[in-house]
Amino acid sequence: MTLPLAMYAQLPILIVVISLVYSATRFDRWDLILREAFRWGSRMVGFLVVIGVVLFLVTSFIDAR
Amino acid sequence: MSNPTTPQEHPVSFLAGLLSYLVPGLGQICQGRVAKGLLFMVCLLGLFHLGQAMGGWKNVYVPANDELSRLEDRIKELRKAAEPAADEINHVRQSMNDIAGQSRRPRLQQLPNNLYERWHYLGQFWIGISAWPALWQYFALPVPEEESHRFFHDLQSRPWEGEINEFWVDSDKTPDLGWIYTVIAGVLNILVIYDAYAGPAFHGDPREPKKEPKPQEASA
Repeated sequence: MTLPLAMYAQLPILIVVISLVYSATRFDRWDLILREAFRWGSRMVGFLVVIGVVLFLVTSFIDAR
Repeated sequence: MSNPTTPQEHPVSFLAGLLSYLVPGLGQICQGRVAKGLLFMVCLLGLFHLGQAMGGWKNVYVPANDELSRLEDRIKELRKAAEPAADEINHVRQSMNDIAGQSRRPRLQQLPNNLYERWHYLGQFWIGISAWPALWQYFALPVPEEESHRFFHDLQSRPWEGEINEFWVDSDKTPDLGWIYTVIAGVLNILVIYDAYAGPAFHGDPREPKKEPKPQEASA
């Protein structure tokens, strides 16, 4: 693991595990578990992407000055 | 009539909750919810052990600051030397064996303070048996021989500061993510324990419209 981005390779594992486990504690039916897990996974990815974009814009703004 | 948004179908089971604490998902498996139990087991134990591996197996432990811990550090320091002094190691080990029994009660009394110093273990503890070696090591209970089972001898023992420094200097942020994974796995297991104890939060689809009772049922 020498690349700066390599540590983010484990991020999808974390998102999948949290979504699945959390959803499975809310429902017993697999169709509902998977649907809820997909929704939670999408929300987390969306949130992280927004944070990433904001940080990228901030650093770009700082570099440009 | 059962309301689909309130958990009523699962009887409360203290035993299932306890089993899911010991091994994530075991309570659900014993209740017949095998696939769900296996999902919890694979996901949480996988996440916990992945986190430990990312941290070089040095991120699940209970810290201590007493004479015994100083001797433990001394042994690890001696082992790291280019030419380990076997006589001194044996001497220190003998001193450790002499005071190990007397150190357990003071360590029990100091446990809240030591956990306050490293709160990570309060989250990791909830993964169950997988985090017990840290307590085993903390209370200086017998461990496998160092020469034959080095990994299990050191498993979840408090790392020596020099060892930690050396590991962190040679690492990127991966060890940081590692302990976070172990804490997340432990905290998620609290939800799993509750699921085994009292069932899932919802039965059926909460989006489905509630069935209105038929007039006969309502009058009955």
